[in-house]
Amino acid sequence: MFHSTRLKFIFTFLCVSFLAGGISLFIGARLLYDAVLREATNQTRLALNAAEDVYHTNVRFVDLALNITTLGMGFRNSFIERDVPDLVDRLERMAKNADLDFTGIALSDGRILCRIGGESLADSVNPPDNPIVRLVLDKGASLSGTLVVSRSFLENEAPDRAGQIQLYPFNMAGPDAAGVESQEACMAIAAAIPIFEYRTTGKLLGVLYGGRLLNQSTEIVDSAQKSVFFDEIQPETTMPTATIFFDTVRIATNMIDPQGNRAIGTRVSDEVKQQVIIRGKEWTERGEDLSDQYISAFMPIADIFGKRVGMLSVAIPESNYSGVQQELIVIFIAVTFLGALISIGMGFFAARRIMAPVLRLIKASREVSEGNVAPDIGPISKDKEMAILQKTFRDMVESMQRRRMASQSKIIQSEKQASVGRLAAGVAHEINNPLTGVLTYTHMLLRRTDIDDDIRSDLKVIVQSTERVRKIVKGLLDFSRQTKLDPEPTDINRLMDATIKLVENQALLKGVGVHFEPGDSLPMIVLDRSQIESVFLNMILNALDATNPSDEIRITSSSALSANDIGHQGVEVTIADNGCGMPPEHLNQIFEPFFSTKDVGKGTGLGLSVSLGIVKEHGGNIRVQSELGKGTTFFIWLPIDREGDAHERAGSR
Amino acid sequence: MNVLVVDDEGIVLESCRKVLEAEGLDVISANSADEALLIFEKTLPGLLLIDLKMPVHDGIYLMKELKNRNIDTPAIVMSGYSTEETIKEADSMGACRFLPKPFTPDELVEAVRQVLKGENQ
Repeated sequence: MFHSTRLKFIFTFLCVSFLAGGISLFIGARLLYDAVLREATNQTRLALNAAEDVYHTNVRFVDLALNITTLGMGFRNSFIERDVPDLVDRLERMAKNADLDFTGIALSDGRILCRIGGESLADSVNPPDNPIVRLVLDKGASLSGTLVVSRSFLENEAPDRAGQIQLYPFNMAGPDAAGVESQEACMAIAAAIPIFEYRTTGKLLGVLYGGRLLNQSTEIVDSAQKSVFFDEIQPETTMPTATIFFDTVRIATNMIDPQGNRAIGTRVSDEVKQQVIIRGKEWTERGEDLSDQYISAFMPIADIFGKRVGMLSVAIPESNYSGVQQELIVIFIAVTFLGALISIGMGFFAARRIMAPVLRLIKASREVSEGNVAPDIGPISKDKEMAILQKTFRDMVESMQRRRMASQSKIIQSEKQASVGRLAAGVAHEINNPLTGVLTYTHMLLRRTDIDDDIRSDLKVIVQSTERVRKIVKGLLDFSRQTKLDPEPTDINRLMDATIKLVENQALLKGVGVHFEPGDSLPMIVLDRSQIESVFLNMILNALDATNPSDEIRITSSSALSANDIGHQGVEVTIADNGCGMPPEHLNQIFEPFFSTKDVGKGTGLGLSVSLGIVKEHGGNIRVQSELGKGTTFFIWLPIDREGDAHERAGSR
Repeated sequence: MNVLVVDDEGIVLESCRKVLEAEGLDVISANSADEALLIFEKTLPGLLLIDLKMPVHDGIYLMKELKNRNIDTPAIVMSGYSTEETIKEADSMGACRFLPKPFTPDELVEAVRQVLKGENQ
């Protein structure tokens, strides 16, 4: 019993600690996740800045290369003298060193003097559209930056590359410009340096321009990847990536698609375009990109005209952070479990402390059911509820003890009466025989005529004394008979209810259930209530002694005919227990006086014989059925018309 | 007229013999129920005086036995003490009268007279 109570305690503590742990785990994991994510986002932004630096460094490099060429010895002379072969040679060397895809020199009217990889068109009437040259000629200052170049530009400037590079449709007038057809284009970084009459002043004579195509290039993104991303050696799949977008198309990237190729040609969502290209904002998002979960940051790339034509982006795989995250969560779970364990331990300890007086009470109640009437329940607890429980228990044991004494004294009373009756009967029988002799012989002597008056008067004294003895014995017998019956009409069910009340506490403490199924519409029976009550009491107490905790005592009452006196109306009460039962050899003896199976001092052995005596006095009988280990049933039968019978005989006597 | 007195107490047997012989009756004694049955066959008494409480077989047994043999000789039952149960049983076995011990000679004679008178009527 107490096991389950303690388990309940522990279970409650477990629930509470697991609930608290679970909630804190959930919240903690959430917070951790958010923190890690924030950190990752920040890192991505930083990485994007670094990538931007790489991009601009490359732009400056192109610019620098062109500057160095214009400042090179003999360049200006060659230009002024239109020494085209020398110029082409210089350009080719520069392109090779600076890894330029196109470079050339334009004249002040826009016509191209010379360029690498293509024929000189210095004499062409309609100069091809070279936006950067045009801009430098307009402004008279050097320029560098991003440039969108059309197919025709490419075919002119880098005919050998034009066929290799993937071009994408692009609206050169602006992303939203209406009425202008988009044409195939690609993105480049380029620079253009004005060539003046004197070093930096004087008449603008021409422009040296050059650039590098970004479509399918690897240099910027790969160096961005290397410079940005720490020194850690990471497996390929978790490498952060850098990407250059032309509009929304990936034109240079080290992001790998599921086939293991660079994911060139794929596009980002319209939302990103909306935020970055159209609104010009930096943008960070989490999302699935080509099968991996990434945190990506985007920034717009504006061309030399200030128009946003593409994006630079960095993406860090979330798996880089989820490892950290998982580690933290594992630590968190471990801490939570440890906390739960500690609180379980504390719960166990608390349960023990709280349960200690309860356990004592349980032990005390066991002792009570085993017969100890003054069990030790320990000191009264300081805890209010516990103190009430302890005091109530103490009071209950005391009142139960009083009741038990009362029921015991009732039994003792009726046993005493029976003993007196028995004694009187025995004495009467033994004394009355010789008394008959004394009376007879003295009377016979008195009848004789030949005796002296002295002797006669002496004999009369004997007769008188003997009569006195006779009266004393008769009085004794009458007394023992008289005290026996005080009959009145009685409802057997109510009498049984009252009897059960006397033993209820005892049965409760022993853990034995007492169930009474009263019979319907039983006739009233004339009987001596206190005596029949002591019979019932005696039977139920016997049953209690024979049972163990959780056993049952079932009591019924019903109208029944006498078993051995056919046709005699009466009421039968059965008292059945499923206790230890009796061996068959005891069944014949149990009604004999002084037969007892109980320990010496526990039972007088008179109980059942007295009960039988009382029931027989009432004209009834008691039968018993018992099986060892299965239980015992007593059948008490009482006749209805006992009183009428007795009156009849009293009249005839 | 023969009277068969059955009692395990010699003093009671002797007392009865003394009183009843003084009344002119023939008294036969038996100190147990079994002896009474044997003697009964031989003497066929006209009246029985039976003590209820005797060792081995009691008065009730004797009366049952007689009843079983279809003998309806009137019987007076005497006893120093008996419960209502035994009196009732004796009644049902056909006892004519119950005579509580101790009794005086007059009481005994009166009981016998009454029974014989009832029998004669």
